[in-house]
Amino acid sequence: MQNFIDAYSWVNLRFLLEGLWVTIYVSAISVVLSFIIGSILGLIRYVKIKYLSMIVGFIIDLIRNLPLLLIIFFMYFGLPSTFGIRLNTVTAAIVALTVFESAMLAEIIRSGIQSIGVGQMEAARSNGLTYLQAMWYIILPQAFRNMVPPIVSQFVSLVKDSSLATIILLPELMYHSQIIYGQNTNYMIPMFVALAFLYFVICFLLSRLSKRLARRLH
Amino acid sequence: MSMIEFHDVNKYYGKFKALKNINLTIERGEVVTIIGPSGSGKSTLLRTINGLELISSGQLLVDNHDLADPKTDMNRIRKNVGMVFQHFNLYANKTILQNITLGPEKVLKVPHVKAAEDAERLLGLVGLLDQAHKLPSMLSGGQKQRIAIARALAMHPKAILFDEPTSALDPEVIGDVLDVMKKVAEQGMTMIVVTHEMGFAKEVGNRLLFMADGEIREDSNDPREFFRAPQDERAQEFLGKILHVD
Ligand SMILES: Nc1ncnc2c1ncn2[C@@H]1O[C@H](COP(=O)(O)OP(=O)(O)OP(=O)(O)O)[C@@H](O)[C@H]1O
Ligand SMILES: [Mg+2]
Repeated sequence: MQNFIDAYSWVNLRFLLEGLWVTIYVSAISVVLSFIIGSILGLIRYVKIKYLSMIVGFIIDLIRNLPLLLIIFFMYFGLPSTFGIRLNTVTAAIVALTVFESAMLAEIIRSGIQSIGVGQMEAARSNGLTYLQAMWYIILPQAFRNMVPPIVSQFVSLVKDSSLATIILLPELMYHSQIIYGQNTNYMIPMFVALAFLYFVICFLLSRLSKRLARRLH
Repeated sequence: MSMIEFHDVNKYYGKFKALKNINLTIERGEVVTIIGPSGSGKSTLLRTINGLELISSGQLLVDNHDLADPKTDMNRIRKNVGMVFQHFNLYANKTILQNITLGPEKVLKVPHVKAAEDAERLLGLVGLLDQAHKLPSMLSGGQKQRIAIARALAMHPKAILFDEPTSALDPEVIGDVLDVMKKVAEQGMTMIVVTHEMGFAKEVGNRLLFMADGEIREDSNDPREFFRAPQDERAQEFLGKILHVD
């Protein structure tokens, strides 16, 4: 018990919260970027533009089948040695998470659009709407409504996956907790408890938010 | 000038020939019904008229525009040719009223208030004024199909295509939909209707096409006479079968 009281000292808690802040903003930036990029890639795959869709499809499949850890390593260690591009830890983490999550989201978005029956498109075109109007007014709103749950669970994984960036010493929540219990191994269990609590809270809030969003769309 | 003209039209799906040498002229105001066994190409023929399917060879003129000409604006053709589907295909994310006003507002650029007024008039015509603010999922099949007809009418088209509009409906509501179609026909609309409703073909239709194996095997200007004494032997066989079922 004393371990817990000591571990949760004011200084340690503040240090943890600093880590939490990095986790949140790295995740938030990656969420926004990967949503934009993933939507574009998903649409390119859906509309089947000659060659382009094939190439995009290949890259997406490649990325989806690599471990995220490898992508993080590559952005941090691989880019400087192969292309001479040196990224700081925060940028490397954001780029790696964005690349990985964009590929995951692209597939969610493509299959979400595909799940809307062809009848809706045929009706809209027969009604005189252009392809783009049909997509914008009829197909995408319905697809998006269906996509909210899988997209959110992907974002929840993103928040959790950001902890992998501890490996390149990104000063996020996981890394900060390791520093704390690195100084005193008695703090290990209290830190695990704190981590579990904090990750749970962010992810839980995120999914509650999305449930509300989904209900408003219905 | 005719509404629709097919000249030696063929349609292939890969090697399979779905339409064979179609020659057909449909005048304004005609109510043409198309019957024939499954797979005979009825839907394919209908869907070439508004460009949902492209023809492989020959010439197809709709409202004097050549559909094979790359300069032809398909959206303009579709403004003038409505379509009603077997499975309704109402816009699931739009209310009944919005289903009807979307085309006029976005395609014809009719102001919202005017489009809504017109939609209410059409809802009155199909007897569903009280459903205006519901979503399609809350309506029965018969109601959905009447809304689909209203949606097509809202564009003030020159012709409407119907692909088995009553085949997915419970028998007791088929009459409601046929009544609406009859009203539309009485207003002088050009209609092309793929159907199994022989009553409609006889009473409302003024021309009947029998299709088999991608060909128009019989083209009759007297549907009653066709049902009494079909000339084509495939038509005799087909009528024999369905009359047995009845
Ligand atoms: N997209 C397609 N690809 C390949 N073959 C097709 C396609 N659409 C239709 N066909 C074939 O073309 C033929 C004609 O089809 P069509 O749908 O026009 O028949 P139909 O007369 O409307 O039949 P039904 O009464 O069953 O609706 C069928 O043999 C069908 O299998
Ligand atoms: Mg058919």
